[in-house]
Amino acid sequence: MNKEHFIKELRAATTKLPPNEQYEIIQDYEEYFAIGLLDGKTEEQISSSLGSPKAIGKELSATYQIEQAETNRTIGSFMRAMWTVIGLGFFNLVIVLGPFLVLASLLLSGWVAGIGFIAAPLLVLINVLIYPEIFELFDLFNSLVFCGLGIFIAIGTSLATKRFMNGFIRYMKFNTKLVKGGPKHA
Amino acid sequence: MNVQFKKGVLNLCVLVLLDKQDRYGYELVQKISNQISISEGSVYPLLRRLTKEGYFTTYLKESTEGPPRKYYQLTDTGRAYLHEQLDEWKKFTEGVNTLIEEGVKND
Repeated sequence: MNKEHFIKELRAATTKLPPNEQYEIIQDYEEYFAIGLLDGKTEEQISSSLGSPKAIGKELSATYQIEQAETNRTIGSFMRAMWTVIGLGFFNLVIVLGPFLVLASLLLSGWVAGIGFIAAPLLVLINVLIYPEIFELFDLFNSLVFCGLGIFIAIGTSLATKRFMNGFIRYMKFNTKLVKGGPKHA
Repeated sequence: MNVQFKKGVLNLCVLVLLDKQDRYGYELVQKISNQISISEGSVYPLLRRLTKEGYFTTYLKESTEGPPRKYYQLTDTGRAYLHEQLDEWKKFTEGVNTLIEEGVKND
């Protein structure tokens, strides 16, 4: 692979990064090639010792997405970071997606229970509207108890969700430090 | 050597090389790859990450030949991080070495 080809593949693998970041990255590798050539190497030698531009690009993208998730703290940026980290290799499919699915489904059930409980009085009211003849005060009291319980569950789940996202971002940072994009001779 | 192993050590190598003097990327990569076999391209992502985490600052310096070079300089935070990592590394290698010696003796 010559320099042009290498830079082209690296550019393609970093299109998700903001233009200035991408520019800096390309500059770094351009500089590397230029000094390598002065050092008496050929473009082919330099690019083969650099490793796969695709893997390098993936790694840079993952680092960037994790940073974004850390500063923005939105579900969207979190998910983007996770997908890029998973994309680093098959190994990550197991050690990132696995724990994520388990914890996320626990949180989801917390949210469903919390919201369902909060909505309980509303459901009783709807029931009364449809069948006014079977209104029981007992149902209303019960539903209010559930509603209160639901608020606690929702608060708890929301705290747990935040904790989980922070923890998972830390885990992904740790993970990208260990797992490689996959250049041939690491 | 195993891949995961090396990547962790790469951090330390870069920090140690920058302890006494500022260096540019190519120089860092060559110094490391002279000693251990690495995929040279993975050093830049590492340099970027450590720069963003505040361990290095960078500046461009003209060179007598070729394009200006980007130099990496260790910050105070970076130096503190280096010493922390170095201590950990020493403890780790001492532990492993002791185990190896014991293993040899028992055989």
